[in-house]
Amino acid sequence: MNSLASQQMVVDHPLSPEKSPIICIRNVCVEYGQPGKASKKVLNGVTLDIVPGEFISIVGQTGCGKSTLLRLVLGEERPTSGQVRVEGSPRAQPDRRCGYVPQKYSLFPDRTVLENITFGLEVTEIGFFGGFSAAKRVRRERFRSEALGYLRRMGLRESDAAKYPHQLSGGMQQRVAIAQALIMRPKILLMDEAFSALDPGTRAGMQRLIKDLWRETGTTILFVTHNPREAVTLGTRLIALARTGLEDDGANILLDLAIPPSADDRDISSLVRRVEESTFPAGTDLDEPAAPEV
Amino acid sequence: MSVLQIHAQPSRATVWTLSWFLFAAGLASYFWVSRGRHVENPDDRVMPTVGQMVQGFTDATLKPAEDDEAVADEGSQSLWGKIRHSMLWKDTIATGRRFIISMALLFPAVLLGLHMGMFPYIGSFFLRFVLFFDKIVALSLLPILFIAFGIDEAAKIALILIGVAPTIILDAFNLTRGVPKEQIVKGFTLGAGDFAVAYRIVLKQIWPRVLNSIRLNLKAVMIFLFSGEMIASQDGLAYRIALLRRHMGMDTIIPYVLWVALLLFLIDLGMRVLNRKCHPWFQEA
Repeated sequence: MNSLASQQMVVDHPLSPEKSPIICIRNVCVEYGQPGKASKKVLNGVTLDIVPGEFISIVGQTGCGKSTLLRLVLGEERPTSGQVRVEGSPRAQPDRRCGYVPQKYSLFPDRTVLENITFGLEVTEIGFFGGFSAAKRVRRERFRSEALGYLRRMGLRESDAAKYPHQLSGGMQQRVAIAQALIMRPKILLMDEAFSALDPGTRAGMQRLIKDLWRETGTTILFVTHNPREAVTLGTRLIALARTGLEDDGANILLDLAIPPSADDRDISSLVRRVEESTFPAGTDLDEPAAPEV
Repeated sequence: MSVLQIHAQPSRATVWTLSWFLFAAGLASYFWVSRGRHVENPDDRVMPTVGQMVQGFTDATLKPAEDDEAVADEGSQSLWGKIRHSMLWKDTIATGRRFIISMALLFPAVLLGLHMGMFPYIGSFFLRFVLFFDKIVALSLLPILFIAFGIDEAAKIALILIGVAPTIILDAFNLTRGVPKEQIVKGFTLGAGDFAVAYRIVLKQIWPRVLNSIRLNLKAVMIFLFSGEMIASQDGLAYRIALLRRHMGMDTIIPYVLWVALLLFLIDLGMRVLNRKCHPWFQEA
């Protein structure tokens, strides 16, 4: 960690001048613990603007505050100081503007695949008490066909629709979780180590899928990973978080790089090396996945 | 093969035999001792014979209760008619009514636990009090309840609620807190509001476990119910057992005890089957 202490933040990412940011993070600090007692600073003065349609990969070592940053955007957590704004308004609590795909517990275990995907539509369009009127039946039929469309798009079979999450593999569960989030057409999709628990083959397939979906929908994606290769191959922009000072100082953005769409294998390898050298101390296990063809 | 091997694989027949052995041994021991006592003293009332217990149970099931005024002609009644006017039936109905009311009143306890776990203000308001209340020995409140509510149904039901509700509230609270945070956040990101998250995500997920918790507390419910009935009641299974104790009516007490055990076993089995049928995801997950 000390080897990173003297590094300066590198910004190699011109913000699109024609688009106003969808996410504004200004000088955000997050500190855990009670005031006056020994506390732990996680983020220290993070400032970041994200414009609509970007695919942001957030990379860094375990415990450097990647997930905290995601939770701030999600509205699940509030900064100790600084501001987080989504579409100009400060975050109070999670809402449907941000879809969310966590690493674990991404599906409701008591609902079938189809019910999981249609849950959001049910609660927003049918209401709290449900109901069985003719109009609602028609709407439910529409939800069903829409959900089945997403299911097929995710590479799952219609026969999987009646299965419960525990009957699916990890990769299938994450596919359903993505469908569940995307059917609500969120402006931002937040993925927290969403593929970390998958085997390399499944992971590569999921990486291809998410990149294709991003191209189709244009949704802004924030993808947290601790794997530099995954971050570089997926994102259009890479944010590397690291502690830049002492252990207690909290993390900040160390690299903010644009990843050119035309990057070939050599460019990607060189970027990966750059991220590894600057962000991860020597000897860190980087959990290398199979490189996807995206 | 040693019986104390962790990897032992007993055959089906062995498992069946072992599982019934203690029942058979208990019955055999009872009847052996009972027979010995009856050889020594034919009027022994402490350990009735099978014949005496069958007679006692038949009387309790087929003979009209002493206080039943509706029975005109005992001989002309159908079997169902006889059962309906019997002591056992009336006692079972009386105890069952109290039991069902108590169980129904436990449902708000589940909702309170859910709200305490979901909404921090409600949790802060109730948690310390419920934790304290849970430590009160419900039976020690019995005299106070009889003074406050009289010896009617209210006191007995209050006793059950005081005895069991805090456990159910705390169980529901802990189960609610145990639902992964990701599920709650996910609910909000899918457009659900606070109550939709609480009821449509969290309550649905904890419900099978809550049913299990209630099922495991059935015996506690019955203990409090029986305590109330034994001390102050005019009917009910425990009232009858207490009454028969005065006359050393073991020929009826033992069948009554077995009847209560059978009822509880059936309720437990029913709740387990219902839980499995209604929540297939829970059993398999």
